[in-house]
Amino acid sequence: MTHTTDKKSALSQGVIIFIYLAVLTGLEFALALFLPNVILLAVVALVKAALVAYYYMHIYKLNEDDHGHDVGHESLAYKTGSNRLGLWLFLLSDSFVFGGLLVSRFNLLGMEGPHLNQYLGFGVTAFLLLSSFFMNRAETSMAHGDKKAFLSNIMVTMILGLAFVLGVVGGEWQLAKIEGVIANKDVAGGIFYMMTGMHAFHVFTGLIFLFFTWRNGKKDYFTAENHWGVEAAAVYWHFVDVVWIFFYPALYLIGVAGG
Amino acid sequence: MNKFIRGLIWILAIVLVTAATAFALAGIGLIFGNTFELHPINWFVGALVGVVVPLYVRYRQIPLIRGLFWQLIATVIGVLFVSFIRLAMGLKAAGGSYLFTEHAWVFGGFVGTLAFLAAHGVMGDWFKWWRGIDTPDHHEDPAGWTKFLGPSLDHKVIGIQYTVVAILLLVIGGTFALIFRTELSFEGKQFLEAAQYNTLMSLHGMIMIVSILLGISGLMNYLVPLLIGAHDMAFPRLNAFSFWIAVPAAVWLLMSMPLGGVETGWTGYPPLSANPAKIGQQMFFLGVIVAGWSSILGALNLLVTVFRMRAKGMTAFRLPIFVWASIATSLIALTATQLIGLSFQMVMFQRLFGMGFFDPDKGGNPVLFQHLFWFYSHPAVYVFILPGLGVVSELLPPLIRKPLFGYKWIAMSSLGIALVGFLVWAHHMFTSGMNEYLRVPFMYSTLLVAVPTGVKFFSWVATIWKGKIPTPMPSAFLFTVGAIIVFLMGGLTGPPNATVSTDLHLHDTYWIVGHFHDTLFGGFVFPFFAALYYWFPKATGRRMNETLGKWHFWLMTPSFFVLSLGMMRIGLLGMRRRIFDYDKALGFQTWHIVLTVAAFLIALSVLIFIINLIKSVKNGEPAEGNIWNSRSPEWQVASPMPAHNYDTPFEVVGEPYDYGLPGSKYVEFMKK
Repeated sequence: MTHTTDKKSALSQGVIIFIYLAVLTGLEFALALFLPNVILLAVVALVKAALVAYYYMHIYKLNEDDHGHDVGHESLAYKTGSNRLGLWLFLLSDSFVFGGLLVSRFNLLGMEGPHLNQYLGFGVTAFLLLSSFFMNRAETSMAHGDKKAFLSNIMVTMILGLAFVLGVVGGEWQLAKIEGVIANKDVAGGIFYMMTGMHAFHVFTGLIFLFFTWRNGKKDYFTAENHWGVEAAAVYWHFVDVVWIFFYPALYLIGVAGG
Repeated sequence: MNKFIRGLIWILAIVLVTAATAFALAGIGLIFGNTFELHPINWFVGALVGVVVPLYVRYRQIPLIRGLFWQLIATVIGVLFVSFIRLAMGLKAAGGSYLFTEHAWVFGGFVGTLAFLAAHGVMGDWFKWWRGIDTPDHHEDPAGWTKFLGPSLDHKVIGIQYTVVAILLLVIGGTFALIFRTELSFEGKQFLEAAQYNTLMSLHGMIMIVSILLGISGLMNYLVPLLIGAHDMAFPRLNAFSFWIAVPAAVWLLMSMPLGGVETGWTGYPPLSANPAKIGQQMFFLGVIVAGWSSILGALNLLVTVFRMRAKGMTAFRLPIFVWASIATSLIALTATQLIGLSFQMVMFQRLFGMGFFDPDKGGNPVLFQHLFWFYSHPAVYVFILPGLGVVSELLPPLIRKPLFGYKWIAMSSLGIALVGFLVWAHHMFTSGMNEYLRVPFMYSTLLVAVPTGVKFFSWVATIWKGKIPTPMPSAFLFTVGAIIVFLMGGLTGPPNATVSTDLHLHDTYWIVGHFHDTLFGGFVFPFFAALYYWFPKATGRRMNETLGKWHFWLMTPSFFVLSLGMMRIGLLGMRRRIFDYDKALGFQTWHIVLTVAAFLIALSVLIFIINLIKSVKNGEPAEGNIWNSRSPEWQVASPMPAHNYDTPFEVVGEPYDYGLPGSKYVEFMKK
């Protein structure tokens, strides 16, 4: 598969990648149950992250030629290129926070894990993955000037994202509390709430971002040629998904066979 | 009404508002279960309200005043909001001598920071974008000096804003040092309480760090777009935001004083920092986290600017060395800064929510904090010094009239220091009880830093070799050479600390303090002054007074040698750092007096510099044209430069530092 330009194949590429991701997530889950091995889990997570980064976040666009020598650096295409680089640098910076949290998790808990409800973890993961899929559809639609499809897809993304946040705060956290994972009881509780909380905070900011993108989309602010706002919201949303791709095994899958 | 009576009325108003607020706060405290008492925090907040509210009434059209006013109001609202919620939930809402609980203060702090930014207007265009309204790319600045108090988008204005606030914080942090240095002159307790000493010592560290971060941002902001021929930074609004978010950060750092102080030193290690007795610690964390965002976003902006906005022909190895140094510094600031934020945030949450990250009773690990903290805080010193070393490499060739020796090696050495710098953090922890097998690898990685740093020294020496020393020596040149010598001392005293066997003895002594001040004076303070003397004419069109400049240099340099060498000496004799008192029998009482005198002489020299700065802005001798006879593009046009810099773009046609080569050219301006 290469990066495609016509709308239909772009959309179907999104579907194929989603299927890959879903299969890999299932594989991860099965691995954790039957063949618990941190390195295998890390490899699967890396493959998933690479798929998202390439096909959903279009990291290759960073390398796109600027076409010509824009001495004044004032053209829209050139500015969008700068914006894209800025956004990716921001994500690089942000990933150090999540990296630090992962390091802390392994430093404090080692290969043990907090005792959590596996179905719920699988459920919220599925929600986030699905929302990424619809986000991709939204962006692809806008890139081809299909405003209607863009609006409905971004709306679905927001609903799924909201369900994720509510699922974490209202479901995951409450259930975890019942199962004895309590923030101020021991360090396993502390790290669990810190990691899920930091991630949920990013999902929440992403939701605000999506909301403004949706509203500006309704106001005809974006066109097929000029929709940097949509692209930025999509890349950010997928980034939050990538973070969860690593947090999910780190919190739920490692140490599950032992407990 | 004449001026005198009007002044009296203003003073009376300030006093009245202060007292009324102090009493009102005590009254509000009753609601939450406090006793009716006037604590220092009552008077402090009272004085803030007393000063800021009348200022707001008179000057609310000035964005800075508006921001501070709403920061204050929003903080109070945030604090009350959480307190009422806690009251309603049946949780403890009374804060005793701090009036409110930690939870209330921290929440209020975050709300206040956002309120400052919103009210100040630096986010105005973003708000419009979110609402789908387009704004013009550029805004006109108001004429006169008031543009420095508002959200200007011009990188030169922002560079000056950064530099001025950096100097202001340098003065505050330096004053703290003078106070506790005076306390240390004699053994035994003099005029400070131990807790006050600890607070001043901790805040001296952190305020100086923020000052340095703002100082290098000032230099990079002002210079990098000029050096690469850009009309501005890549993201002018983000640039303004990065500067203005540092203002509430500085406010929070200072607010930690009336809220019980910071007793941990600037490193804020738990378990001491996790002890909930003092709320000041939380304000300290808050200030650092907010200042961290200033640094991260500034670095992001700078990287994009250099990658995307260079003039035609400015390939990687034709970039000025200062730009290379800025890239290296920004790479560290962009990424590693997140980890000091995370480590402080985790302590913050441990205090607020009882999460046991660093609490062994709950299975936590205090050493983890040190790993996270030093992962930033060691590379941070390279953030501080790399731009300064870049300034030295940038200034030597035009002042000595010779090509820079080994340009590519110098360019790569900055990146080398930055990258190796990521792998050395645990050398701060040789005595911390971390796993012993980590010691030797970290020792060798640390010693490795000496290689790229040595490259820089060889290049400087080779550049000076057979060069033309300018006569009379300009202050910029004196400070450049001073930087090399002082930094050499800092560099040579480093390896003993990197070597495990010696560090076990040197750790936590004044030796380390001496070494550290050597590296930062050599790596930041001297080059910073050199850069100010050198580029001041570019920014203002006037020269600084050379006589005062020489007084500044010849007073500061010997005093500094006495200070840092004296610190190292008493360190070797057994003076521990960060402590309030020492035993007279150790025999370095006299040295402490000498150190204090030296510190005051340094302060005097900086005072001379500031007087020079203020005088020269107005009455300096006009500086026309290329006063340094430099090849660099910014000196080929008139000073000060207009908004958006160059009227006609230039093209890079040669090597940047080919001084003395006949017929060679660096830049060529295009025809209109």
